[in-house]
Amino acid sequence: MLRVENVSKSFQALRAVDNASLVVERGEIVALIGPNGAGKTTLFNLIAGALAPNEGSIVFLGSDIAGWRADQVCAVGIGRTFQIVKPFADMTVLENVMVGGFRGTTDRRLASRRAEGALRALEMWGQRDRPASALTLPDRKKLEVARALATEPRLLLLDEVMAGLRPTETDHMVAAFRRLNAEHGVTILLIEHVMRAVMALAQRVYVLHHGVIISSGTPAEVTSDPRVLESYLGTAEL
Amino acid sequence: MNRSVVALLVLLAALLALPLALDRYLLSVMILILYFAYVGQAWNVMMGFAGQLSLGHALFVGLGAYTAAALFQHFAIVPWVGMLAAIVVCVVMGSIIGWLAFRFGIGGTYFALLTIAFAEFTRIGFEHFGWVGGTGGFFLRVTQQDHVDVVHLRGPPILFYYLALALAVIGFVLCWAMLRGRLGFYFRAIRDNEEAARAAGVNVFRYKMYAVQISAAMTALAGVFFAFYYNNLFPEQIFHISRSIEIILAPIIGGIGTLFGPVLGAALLTLLSEGINQALSMAGHEVPGVKQILYGVALGAAIMFMPNGIWPVIARKFGFRRAVTADD
Repeated sequence: MLRVENVSKSFQALRAVDNASLVVERGEIVALIGPNGAGKTTLFNLIAGALAPNEGSIVFLGSDIAGWRADQVCAVGIGRTFQIVKPFADMTVLENVMVGGFRGTTDRRLASRRAEGALRALEMWGQRDRPASALTLPDRKKLEVARALATEPRLLLLDEVMAGLRPTETDHMVAAFRRLNAEHGVTILLIEHVMRAVMALAQRVYVLHHGVIISSGTPAEVTSDPRVLESYLGTAEL
Repeated sequence: MNRSVVALLVLLAALLALPLALDRYLLSVMILILYFAYVGQAWNVMMGFAGQLSLGHALFVGLGAYTAAALFQHFAIVPWVGMLAAIVVCVVMGSIIGWLAFRFGIGGTYFALLTIAFAEFTRIGFEHFGWVGGTGGFFLRVTQQDHVDVVHLRGPPILFYYLALALAVIGFVLCWAMLRGRLGFYFRAIRDNEEAARAAGVNVFRYKMYAVQISAAMTALAGVFFAFYYNNLFPEQIFHISRSIEIILAPIIGGIGTLFGPVLGAALLTLLSEGINQALSMAGHEVPGVKQILYGVALGAAIMFMPNGIWPVIARKFGFRRAVTADD
């Protein structure tokens, strides 16, 4: 479904993403992990069209979307959330999500239905009339997900949506993503630091370090890979 | 029907009947209120909905006015056709400004400066534009004030009262419909966060262009009205930056981004300004500048105590529904 090949992005001297490749198959849940500053969010921004890569190709459902604008990427079926949440602060929760719901349609009722579905999936329907600015951080994270979901994406990019959640909230969110994946066939690529969520959700994991994919495989394989441990702990002496 | 709709219909009925009760002076005050309510609504589309600050909206008033007036005077083209030409001219001008700004990522204060620049050099251009009279002004034939001629928009003030009322109603309904639909949602999303809007599928450049074009087209009609109501146009007056500021005061005081803000603001400001005039002339004091000072103090107080405008405060106090609720 998504095939990222030899993609690189530099900011002046810093090579934030270095020749990275990854594949996400239809129906999968794949995690992208790595220490802070590894380039995970940059790679997401390249896929989602917020940034254009210097090199490489990003093929989604047969079209090379590298360098497309974010709204074009959204239009072909990729929804994304922002690690640093970006709610439409002067709009209500429902209105926020309806913006996503209007993708490809001018039908207000359809937008509203999509928004309702997304908000219910995240157990936020009860908060629909609150202004987005009044939400707590965990709820703003959920709002990010709901807004992306309302665009009816085939691939959902989640950037640290569980950071800051309590363990029970994490479990709720994990369950919600499982349902979306199983019942609606949404493919998910997520960046996550909360290993509890990664272990519970991801079928496969990529590990990014200094912009390079250093390991990939099942969660169990990756977490026992010495290169991964070294990248996190800074030493291989175990 | 809910409360707000009923209240609006009652207000409309009252406005339709109002000329029966007004003398010539009060009718002219009402025309001013409706004019500023409409043009404030037009400006609000750009700033209030889509977050693009224009400080040069007099540009569109002037261009609309001159276009329709010149076609009428030089080619005897009726204003109803002239207003279409006025809309085209203003939309083209708005598109040029929007393209320059949004293509090259000019936003915020710099965008506002760009709008001022366009208004100013258009003013200077028109001062040297002999075909429409240059600095000497451009005048429309005034014939038979008492005879109502709807086709040529010639007639007594009551004709212009109903025209202004029609504009205000059309502007209000248009904005109401806009806010309910995708256009309004996308505009507000852009205003609140462009990057998030893009990620949610909004073509930010295109929708910012739409905002400018719609606002310019609406303002063009205000210009046509202005030309046929006042019958004389001077570049120094119509394009002047003080005119642009005058336009934006009503929505700012009334409540930026709200439907009722421009209407309420226009009523309050016009009444305030006329009231000060009357009070001063009755008191027999003709001290120059006093009016401006009183007016300024009132504006300052309003902004200090109600930074989001007066309408949001009223709406909260009386528990009106939000102008835009998603599920109705």
